[in-house]
Amino acid sequence: MGRVTLPSGKVTKSDVHPEEAALSTPAAEHVPGLAPADGIAARARGLTKAYGSGETTVLALDAVDVDIVRGRFTAVMGPSGSGKSTLMHCLAGLDTVSAGQVWLGDTEITGLRERELTRLRRDRIGFMFQSFNLIPTLNALENITLPMDIAGKRPDEKWLDQVIDTLGIRDRLKHRPSQLSGGQQQRVACARALASRPELIFADEPTGNLDSRAGLEVLGFLREAVDQLGQTVVMVTHDPGAAAHSDLVLFLGDGRIVDEMRRPTAESVLERMKRFDVIRTRFDDAPAASEEN
Amino acid sequence: MLKATLRSFLAHKGRLLLSALAVLLSVAFVTGSLIFSDTVSRTFDRLFASTAADVTVSPKEDLDEAVPSGRTATLPGALAERVRQVDGVAAARAEVDVDGLTVVDEENEPVGPTTGAPTLGTAWNPTERSPVELTSGHAPRGDGQALLDSETADRKGVRIGDTLTVIAPPGSFEVRVVGIATFTTTNPGAALVFLDPSTAPTKLLGNPRAATGISVDAADGVTDEQLKQRVAAALGAHTYDFRTADEQAKSDVEQLGGFLDVIKYVMVGFAGIAVLVGVFLIVNTFSMLIAQRTRELGLLRALGADRRQVRRSVLAEALLLGLVGSTLGLAVGIGLAAGLIELMGLLGMNIAADEMVIGWVTPVTAYVVGLGVTFVAAYLPARRASGVSPMAALSDAEVAGVGRPLRVRAVAGAVVGAAGAAALVGCAVSEQTSSAASMLGLGVVLSLIATVIAGPLLVRPVIRVLGAAFPALFGSIGRMSQRNALRNPRRTGATAAALMVGLALVGGMSVASESMTASFDQQIDKTLGADFVIQNTNFLPFPKEVTDEVRGTEGVGLLVRGRFTPVAVRLPDGDRVETTAAGYDPRLDEVANITYVQGDSAAALASGRLAMDRDFARDHGVRVGGTVPVEFPGGRRGELTVGALTDQDAAEGFGTQGGLYFGLATLERYAPGGQDSALYVNAAPGTSDDDLRANLERTLDPYPQVQARDLADYKQLVHDQIAVLLYLVYALLGLAIIIAVLGVVNTLALSVVERTREIGLLRAIGLARRQLRRMIRLESVVIAVFGAVLGLALGLVWGVCTHEVLALQGMTALAIPWFTIVAVVIGSAVVGVVAALLPALRASRMNVLAAIAHE
Repeated sequence: MGRVTLPSGKVTKSDVHPEEAALSTPAAEHVPGLAPADGIAARARGLTKAYGSGETTVLALDAVDVDIVRGRFTAVMGPSGSGKSTLMHCLAGLDTVSAGQVWLGDTEITGLRERELTRLRRDRIGFMFQSFNLIPTLNALENITLPMDIAGKRPDEKWLDQVIDTLGIRDRLKHRPSQLSGGQQQRVACARALASRPELIFADEPTGNLDSRAGLEVLGFLREAVDQLGQTVVMVTHDPGAAAHSDLVLFLGDGRIVDEMRRPTAESVLERMKRFDVIRTRFDDAPAASEEN
Repeated sequence: MLKATLRSFLAHKGRLLLSALAVLLSVAFVTGSLIFSDTVSRTFDRLFASTAADVTVSPKEDLDEAVPSGRTATLPGALAERVRQVDGVAAARAEVDVDGLTVVDEENEPVGPTTGAPTLGTAWNPTERSPVELTSGHAPRGDGQALLDSETADRKGVRIGDTLTVIAPPGSFEVRVVGIATFTTTNPGAALVFLDPSTAPTKLLGNPRAATGISVDAADGVTDEQLKQRVAAALGAHTYDFRTADEQAKSDVEQLGGFLDVIKYVMVGFAGIAVLVGVFLIVNTFSMLIAQRTRELGLLRALGADRRQVRRSVLAEALLLGLVGSTLGLAVGIGLAAGLIELMGLLGMNIAADEMVIGWVTPVTAYVVGLGVTFVAAYLPARRASGVSPMAALSDAEVAGVGRPLRVRAVAGAVVGAAGAAALVGCAVSEQTSSAASMLGLGVVLSLIATVIAGPLLVRPVIRVLGAAFPALFGSIGRMSQRNALRNPRRTGATAAALMVGLALVGGMSVASESMTASFDQQIDKTLGADFVIQNTNFLPFPKEVTDEVRGTEGVGLLVRGRFTPVAVRLPDGDRVETTAAGYDPRLDEVANITYVQGDSAAALASGRLAMDRDFARDHGVRVGGTVPVEFPGGRRGELTVGALTDQDAAEGFGTQGGLYFGLATLERYAPGGQDSALYVNAAPGTSDDDLRANLERTLDPYPQVQARDLADYKQLVHDQIAVLLYLVYALLGLAIIIAVLGVVNTLALSVVERTREIGLLRAIGLARRQLRRMIRLESVVIAVFGAVLGLALGLVWGVCTHEVLALQGMTALAIPWFTIVAVVIGSAVVGVVAALLPALRASRMNVLAAIAHE
């Protein structure tokens, strides 16, 4: 108890009821989200993100400690407003933090200047977004190699071939995004995220705009990227079925990591999510929150 | 609906600001020119009306001087005595007013204006009508004393007691400044030297009994008109020109009018360019606003607004914009007029700014122009807006105009283009100057319209070529910027069109002026054979004294004088042609190369003989050996025999129709009192050109108004004269570019907003701010260069066709100003960079997360 994070005690936009946080706190000794120090791709300590100031301050992230293990597929789940997207943005250097530290590998990225963050994103991180992942004026191949082109680097041809073949988009390379289906577009985005062999790939609701078959395909590729290509993937999702493809699910509630689940299945994740929803339904008389964006 | 219109207007004020600027510039130039010309003409109306005598008697002027002859028409000063006897005359004075003087100080530096305004020598006859009053010193008494006007004295630091040299037609003389006279009204820009009336006729006219006019004051109760009738009756109506004060003032204003008209036309040119380019900018802005608001308009339609209401709403917005732009433009126009008046002050023409005249026509014109321009420009976009379907509210906002086929444009562009091409071809093959010129005008207008219509179709092919090197040079950034420019051909085309219009005009005019320069060069090379030409910088005649000094200069072998006179010839076919004829000394052949079809220089320059251009002679049925009655100024007439026919391509081009010339002795017999306009000098045997030049320069030192020029210097002088035209072209270019830049800024700003998510994505995956800025800059550059290439291509075509018209006037050389063209292309790239500054900054400042989440 006593985890109410709103200074004023007012329930504002991130309207997770205080009791929910209490309910989702695990009883175990193990702190969720933390892992042994070796093989850490990204790490956050005391990561806090506050919006607004004074009376209206809202804490999107409240002193989060988290480790992202290298070579794993990590899913981040939580109800709308739980701070899962904010966590991803802070880890990826897209957003600034209010307090705490974030490392990518051995590099502390909190405190880096804009220019260094941009270079970091370009060279060491891959991104997949829910939609509008591709530059409409560039064809698929140009999109895939874009981060390397921007950096003025030559892509590793062998690796690029491997990625393209794994994703099965060789016959689509000369197509513009408008000539590709939604699933194909996400595959190209996936290929772009993989192409520069980044230390970490962030996927923000990558299946959110896809039908279930195309969504499954994309999740399969992310899985393959981890298993066969040895990549590290962090995926933010609200879909338990998507989360089931991961090695580890981190549950966020009220700006904190409240639970984790290894070897998840769709059912177990759904069960866990329902515990957020019960509270919510009881108090808000509203269905579960949908997507955030 | 009105509320929605107002809201929408205010919501888009940033974007509308740029359009309002375009309206503002157009209106400002229109009102500025109106106010300026109103103010100036009223100022001079007043000046001349207040200074003109009740009746002025002046020597009869039957021939207009197109080229100054240096001759001052005179009448006997004793006429004043006869006029005084006329009933109703209160007073009559003999006036001596001579222009074209040169006054130099002790260092031989000119004291008068060097901008072309005259230096006048006048007899000091102060009356209550004098525009000047003595403010210090005393009136000039006898020889060697003079007054100077205060502005000239201030400008050149001349004080009472200083000695000046006046170079007058009869000869130079020294005067001591004994007083300063100050203008009580506006000084039209001239420098004035006042002499004692008893010495003025001798000093300025070379004749103690001559005068240039008689000023007559009416007795009480006699009107100017009555007085004029009586004086004319007394002296004989056909002997002299008689003018009442009103007529005299009008005639004076007309004389000044030429100069003022030039300023007016320049201003109208600027206004025209501003209006033309502004229309493009406004069309573009409204098209983009409507494209952006497709959903909103669809919603209005879905809620029950009918097409007419939507269209009216857009037009109301346009009118609001026009109102704001016109009001601001009116204010800026007043400032512009004030600035011009200040500028005139720097040139010596002082017009008090508090006398500014703003007639009712000015604001009315301002609003008619401002509202008209915006209304016309917004009409098409408004019609398009009314075509938005209610379904647009529901579907995803497609950017209007991207997908629609350009087929209609292609057809319309091809049809208008073909008509324009036909007109231009017609102009090129036409043999008649007048029909060729009208064909040219038609072709220019049609080809401009065709290019504007077809512009979007040319975007893809031209920008593919222009941007071809971008991917290689700038990698993905270059590739994206090139393709971004291709994304919406309609918009790129319209944006570039604004730049194109201005550059097409500039291209055409620079080809024409370059060709003129080349033609003059050719002509000079072909005809001028003298080692040196001695001439006034403004081509004005100079006193005989200069000729005598040059003749006496060591090393001068041959000297041939050239002099001009206005003449009127009566031709066998019944035409009477007023033109300018030249008179030359014998041995003209040694200083000029003239192609004779019949006869030779000896035959042409012999006493009572005349040379004529072959074409002119043929057109009017003149043959060698025939006689032609020639009228000279001052009413003298002569029967001259055609001694030779020449082949002078450029005769008409140089402003002397007919190419008439005769011996200087012939000219002197019929039109005495003229001054030489040019001296052609050849070195004596054994004297080098350099020595002769040094000698001539030493001789001419006391006469700063004339210089000795060799062939190269002479060409330079001609180039400088034509360059004035070019400066005007460059100023127009500047204005067109300013407005076009606004258009490019507008387009880029909108593109940046539309591509917010894309920009967010690029930034997320690691595009640095600098790279993002470069991407937008390159897009801007490629659009600007596209406009420049289109404009220059069109301008070249126009220029070549204009040259065809000029060729009919004898200017046959065609020269393409490649340097200017390359400079303009480079300049347009710079324009692109400048236009991209703000949009690029805005894009690079975007918050990455907000941009990604942008709808």
